[in-house]
Amino acid sequence: MRPATVWIIFRKELLEALRDRRTIFMMIGLPILLYPLLMIGMSRLQEGQEAAQTARASRVAVWGELPAELEARLLKPGKMELLGWKGAPQGIRDGLKASRLDAPPTPPFDYDADDRPAKPPKLPDADWARAAQKAVLEREADAVVILWPRFEERMKGGDKAVASILYDSVRAESRKARDRVSDQLRLYRMDLQRERERQRGLPAGFALGVEIQSNNVASEQRKSGLLVGMLLPYMLILFSAMSGFYAAIDMTAGEKERGTMQTLLCAPVEALEIIGGKFLAVWSIAMIATVVNLLSLAMTFTRLKLLPGMEVSAPPSSYLVAFLMLIPISLMVNAVFLAVGAFAKDFKDGQNFLTPILMSLLAPLTVTMTPGIELNGYLAFVPVVNIALLIKGVFLGEWAADMLFLVLLSSLCYASIALVFAAHVFERNPVLLGGKEALSSVFDFSRRPGSRPTPGVSLLVFAAVLVLAFYGSLSLARFGLPVMLAVTQYGFFLAPVVLVIYLKGYDFTDTLNLRGLSWRGAAASVLIGVSAWTVAGGLLVRLLPPPESLQKAMERLLMLDDKPAPLWEAWLLVAITPALCEESLFRGLIMSGFRRLGKWPAILATGLLFGLAHASIYRLLPTLALGVVFGYTVWKTRSIVAGMICHALNNGLMATLARSKDLIEQMGLSGQKYVPWAIIAGGAVVLAAGLWLLKREGEDQAPTTA
Amino acid sequence: MTPILQAEGLSRHFGAVRAAEEVSLTVRAGEVVGLLGPNGAGKTTILRMIAGILAPDAGRVLIDGIDIAAEPLAAKEKIGFHSGDTQLYQRLNAREALEYFGRLYGVEERRLKRRIDELIAQLEMESFAGRPCGTLSSGQKQRANIARAFLHEPDLLILDEPTNALDVVSGQFIVEAIRREKAEGRAVLFSTHIMGEAEYLCDRIALLHEGKLVDQGTLAELLERSGCANLTDAFLKAIGVRRNGESA
Repeated sequence: MRPATVWIIFRKELLEALRDRRTIFMMIGLPILLYPLLMIGMSRLQEGQEAAQTARASRVAVWGELPAELEARLLKPGKMELLGWKGAPQGIRDGLKASRLDAPPTPPFDYDADDRPAKPPKLPDADWARAAQKAVLEREADAVVILWPRFEERMKGGDKAVASILYDSVRAESRKARDRVSDQLRLYRMDLQRERERQRGLPAGFALGVEIQSNNVASEQRKSGLLVGMLLPYMLILFSAMSGFYAAIDMTAGEKERGTMQTLLCAPVEALEIIGGKFLAVWSIAMIATVVNLLSLAMTFTRLKLLPGMEVSAPPSSYLVAFLMLIPISLMVNAVFLAVGAFAKDFKDGQNFLTPILMSLLAPLTVTMTPGIELNGYLAFVPVVNIALLIKGVFLGEWAADMLFLVLLSSLCYASIALVFAAHVFERNPVLLGGKEALSSVFDFSRRPGSRPTPGVSLLVFAAVLVLAFYGSLSLARFGLPVMLAVTQYGFFLAPVVLVIYLKGYDFTDTLNLRGLSWRGAAASVLIGVSAWTVAGGLLVRLLPPPESLQKAMERLLMLDDKPAPLWEAWLLVAITPALCEESLFRGLIMSGFRRLGKWPAILATGLLFGLAHASIYRLLPTLALGVVFGYTVWKTRSIVAGMICHALNNGLMATLARSKDLIEQMGLSGQKYVPWAIIAGGAVVLAAGLWLLKREGEDQAPTTA
Repeated sequence: MTPILQAEGLSRHFGAVRAAEEVSLTVRAGEVVGLLGPNGAGKTTILRMIAGILAPDAGRVLIDGIDIAAEPLAAKEKIGFHSGDTQLYQRLNAREALEYFGRLYGVEERRLKRRIDELIAQLEMESFAGRPCGTLSSGQKQRANIARAFLHEPDLLILDEPTNALDVVSGQFIVEAIRREKAEGRAVLFSTHIMGEAEYLCDRIALLHEGKLVDQGTLAELLERSGCANLTDAFLKAIGVRRNGESA
């Protein structure tokens, strides 16, 4: 793939897209207009509704004898019109007046923390209830209050008087009427309690018993953050995807429809260059739209009171992290759009194909609105959901760097899978020409003996293995660390490597670098294996010191659980097993795929993936450095055995140190937060000697181009 | 002299449909070869395979000795392909579209600008070169498209019915442009069903029917072999159809 050609295609695609009014509208016009209009409109409407409700007097029918004092209280605020017996059938009137009707039994005590019924009681199956329901639903009154027989008498006699309020929760006026009546009745009850206590010479609060005071510790920012966190991921992801949606259809199905795809295919450009240029253009459009959406939303939120007394004041860093999180999801969604869009014959077809994908984003996005769902280890690897929850967490001020890293990592995995799929589709010209055999040819993963892995295969295997290993190790945690380590390494790292090489028909020897090692190569590997940690662990850890929790987790890993396992077991599971399995995966299959990019790009890309696979931002730099050194060792020696020796010695040394207090003291590591400079310097000398030996280890491998 | 185009035994099936069957063709520098066939004879499939945008089921294509399957980019650089399915971008103007393709073909910037000016003058595109391609008439689009195929001065021009649906004046522009390219030593392979065009332009003519080459040679050779007085009769005879439309 030639970057210059990708750049030419990208520039043209972007220029053409920016001349399309539909794309411009979706990218800039819609977010600028939509949010302020929507929010201001909703806010004004809500304010207007509230003002209208407050100004309007509630029309309340009162069935039963209303004590004068209560009547005065209900009428005092001037917001209630009492309609007397309105809507009450004669039978009910007579029954209440003649005390033939009894109050319904008190429902079982089941109130929530705010003293509201946890479950709304069912409407009793009685004539009076049906009559009141009819009166409210037919809007004869906003609410019906039934004062049960001998209400005043019971009240005055120190007994319990019962009042029922029947209202329609769907109708705002009815809810308002209920609130007003209920407020006055509660105040009336409070005064009555005080009066009874006074009359009987009881201390104030006797009847109340316990007063519960509940205080919300959430700041205004946190409360508003919850609201923003619920809305923002939904809107941002959806609108950012929508802007890529039109651009992706235009650049695939639209091109086919306009007959320009064939013009491009007869030019001397590779399919990957075409997808690369188009993808960059679609992605740029989506990212521009994301920035505009984010700015527009931020401006709208900060200028607007969403709820009375609540102002949104998220710090700019929250919006920045939200933007960061939208990068991988945008990569993934737009790659899928392009890949699927390539199957469509025309624009309409493209819309039909991509709309279900766009809609499928909506379901996972609703998690942000579901109470109780928070980002955790499992959800960090669920696409879309992880990003939505993390953005919500950011606006609530609840996020950790490690979780952010994990979400970014998993999202990049899914984005890689989507991108490799898109490239795979574009490599099949019949698909782009609209041939009938299109779909079957895309899913043709048949064995091709003699072929070699590609960078796409490397990315795909890495992404799939990482997701598999992550969920696999989580589900195996209950079996203990040794079982988890062994199954993860052999089952989720080594087995997929062997399977992919076999299924694709690659050559095992060439792909895995299964070759012997010269004495110089072996010596170099030993020197590197015993010293690389001093530089990687000693130097790079200082740049981003790990938190104590991670240090403890690492110690537990090296000890193979809370109680130290025998040293041989630790060497077997923590040193030799990862050396076999991880080296086969990274310096074997993955680096083989990157080989055609050249020596250093292959070593660095493999090292980066190796670092990312350790799933912690604090371990990224040290493991990346180790990965690069191991990669260089394998490249120079052309033998995976060299990488295995380095890896086993490095890990084995760590496991040994973790067990031996004497050794730690002898090395002067006891009580040290970091590896002392003297050890780093000594290690660097040994490492340099190992690298010097490697430099003399024959010619570099010629990168393959096949 | 090595032929610029050497197509050997090209076959392509689409399900049960045999679009091309064992087709072999050669075109030399400075030679115009016409591919004559009725609609559905497989002309476009054969030209697409030669241009490297459709892989054949069997056979191979060498462009100036380069196997297009093995080295597609190197081979495609030597080809200028035009067909009814190769349109230009509606939201780019003709000059921008030419610049874009010139860059993709690796034409150096200064040479590209000079070449675009030259083609705009040759094909009389001055009045519409700055207008978006989506607003051009069929004839104008065709000229811009031909300019795109000629732009990188390819060794081999493949033109699929280049005068199709054009008025006489626009068609004549294209025909003259092909003659100029031939005069400059380029190999031209073009398909048509207009006999007059084939007679006027072609050094050799290949007659295609139901995916198979039924005859090929110079006009004189075809007439002599068929015993007919004109190309139309020779063509109809070759594909087994009488003048009144019945099968022979």
